Amino acid sequence: VVADDPVDVVIVGAGAAGSIYAAVLAEAGRSVRVLESGPSWELGSLISSQIWARRLKWGGPPVEFRGDRPGFSHNLNTGWGLGGAALHHYATWPRLHEEAFRVRSLYDRGLDWPFGYEELRPWYDRLQEDVGISGDAAQEIWRPAAATPYPMPPIKQFAQARILAEGFAKLGLPTAPLPVAITSVEYKDRAACVYDGWCDAGCPVLALANPLVVHQPQAIAAGARFDALSTVLRVRAASKAQAAGVDYAAPDGSVRFQPARVVVLAASVIQNPRILLNSRNADWPDGPGNAQGRLGRNLMMDGLAGAYGLFDAPTENHMGVSAGQLTNRVRYAGDRTNVPFGSYQWQIAPSLKPNDIFGIAATKGDVFGAPLHDFMERAAKGLASMVSMIEQMPDPANRVLLSDRSDRFGLPLARVEHRVDDELKALWRHCSEEGIAVMRAAGARESWSSPYISGHLAGGTVMGTDPATSVADGLGRLHGLANIVIAGAGLFPSTGGISPTYTLSALALRSASHIAANWSEYA
Amino acid sequence: VKTDRRSLLGGAAVGLGVSLLPFSVNGQTVALSPADARKQGADFKSLTPGEVRTLEAFAEVLLPGAREEGVAHFVDHHISNEPADSLLMIRYMDVPPPYAPFYKAGLAALDAHAKRTTGKLFTALDAGEATELVRLISAAPPAEWQGPPSPLFYFVVRSDAVDVVYGTEKGFERLGIPYMPHLLPETKW
Repeated sequence: VVADDPVDVVIVGAGAAGSIYAAVLAEAGRSVRVLESGPSWELGSLISSQIWARRLKWGGPPVEFRGDRPGFSHNLNTGWGLGGAALHHYATWPRLHEEAFRVRSLYDRGLDWPFGYEELRPWYDRLQEDVGISGDAAQEIWRPAAATPYPMPPIKQFAQARILAEGFAKLGLPTAPLPVAITSVEYKDRAACVYDGWCDAGCPVLALANPLVVHQPQAIAAGARFDALSTVLRVRAASKAQAAGVDYAAPDGSVRFQPARVVVLAASVIQNPRILLNSRNADWPDGPGNAQGRLGRNLMMDGLAGAYGLFDAPTENHMGVSAGQLTNRVRYAGDRTNVPFGSYQWQIAPSLKPNDIFGIAATKGDVFGAPLHDFMERAAKGLASMVSMIEQMPDPANRVLLSDRSDRFGLPLARVEHRVDDELKALWRHCSEEGIAVMRAAGARESWSSPYISGHLAGGTVMGTDPATSVADGLGRLHGLANIVIAGAGLFPSTGGISPTYTLSALALRSASHIAANWSEYA
Repeated sequence: VKTDRRSLLGGAAVGLGVSLLPFSVNGQTVALSPADARKQGADFKSLTPGEVRTLEAFAEVLLPGAREEGVAHFVDHHISNEPADSLLMIRYMDVPPPYAPFYKAGLAALDAHAKRTTGKLFTALDAGEATELVRLISAAPPAEWQGPPSPLFYFVVRSDAVDVVYGTEKGFERLGIPYMPHLLPETKW
């Protein structure tokens, strides 16, 4: 195996977390190389089409699955290429509630984070200014404490949002503008969003803060090198407590060794544990970070419940952003009656396209033939929709492990074992019923709900103070290893039922800054 | 430097050209939309003539107009491609690639089921029979169904039909909603 010139830091994966690590460490003067398995995308690659948008989703080796299928969906929820999943993410950027950091302490279930909200707060605050978030802090009565309100006013609202807000209000439920990392006004030389709803296809005009807009340019300007079509195969050991670098397959198919003083794994919730499990050797017989058999466990995926209504009045559902215009966030069921335990949020009034997985046609999957044309015409004028995102509690039995089948490099594929428990199913039913109640209260002529769907991967390499119950420490460093750091939502001990990108970005900013300031502790 | 939307749209040329699919017509490789590929009788790469007929008939029942919009050429191209380049909805369904066996097995199961229950191939069913059969298989796999789960096969081909009929600039126009592209696919989809 040919060795490349050593670097200070090798980062595996060029998504949201990897790009932030690259920016922070390159700006701190470290030599940084980012190896990304998927292709290289530019802003000019982001074609406005829900068909072409599919290129941005997972195109790597398949993930084998055993369990309850509707509870787990991989390809749609991951990314492929520079920018990762954040290239097509909808940029819903809420902060995780204070109590989500202390689920075990407060409710005697789930897991605690190794630190509280206050520890992450300054990093949320900094990102809010760097990246830019539009919202209304005063209306968001559930928003955790922050240094400042949002730097931009809320995104524009269209008829769909006004109609559904009225439905929530009639049921005594508050709504607020959805906080999004999208420009509602010109911000730091980025033009304001024009509300054409192409977020899922990747925003090429810099309105939505994907990694190609903010952190990758910052990293490249500071000297970081990004290599696409470069698949990391394993982490190599220097000793039991130290990694030497990574082996990777270069674009020409040759296997090369990239020596590095620090290895950051930011390759996704599923591929991070797969790479570690595929790194077994004499020093790490069960894989690095897996001395206690915890690697891959506590995999989580939010349940999603869609609610739909057809209205006589035009809903202008072709206008807006893919994430939605409003939100209603409900915390844990500690003091609620007749509501199963868990945290969830509503994302209300997303812009809709006719086709694709979240498009108009998919909202009525049982309709076909001439009635489908009829439905499309009516729904294009008067459909309103919203989706609740519902937290799954960590369960060690839900996990990532290795398959008996291999990829083209002869390395075992990832296998996921994942089930949805009765409590999550009950909370999902509650959300479906609440969604239909809102639609009716808003005056829908017809209302219905979606089957169980799922989104947002988390866990599998969870943080904690105790190596017996967690994989990484509070900075993402594998227990017992000086220089292997995990990045991304795989670290989350709980999800709070909210979109993960803001929180995983804050974690990445905090940990990368710690490495930069305390280099000798790692290298 | 202020990033101005117009200069980015000017850069849209970066995206042009890639959205035409290469089809072979009379031995020449030409870039066409699926609808034009059908009109010009472009060759199929993976599907047999029988599979093409069944797929077109099935998609036409799911969404009238899908046949003419080239659903069979659309599917054929993208199941013959590298899976990472495929633009089909099946990519989201966690079906392990390659995707051609999924479609071929689904089409064979559809025909076998039609034959078993009516004595005719799917293409020979009248409108009422075809609608009834689709209603049945869309809900749950019928007894003796041998292929990918029938509700999944229904969902995937219905999505393909919706893609070619409504996922294009022409499809948006049909619904009276503006396409509003930043970067327009050259073939209007």
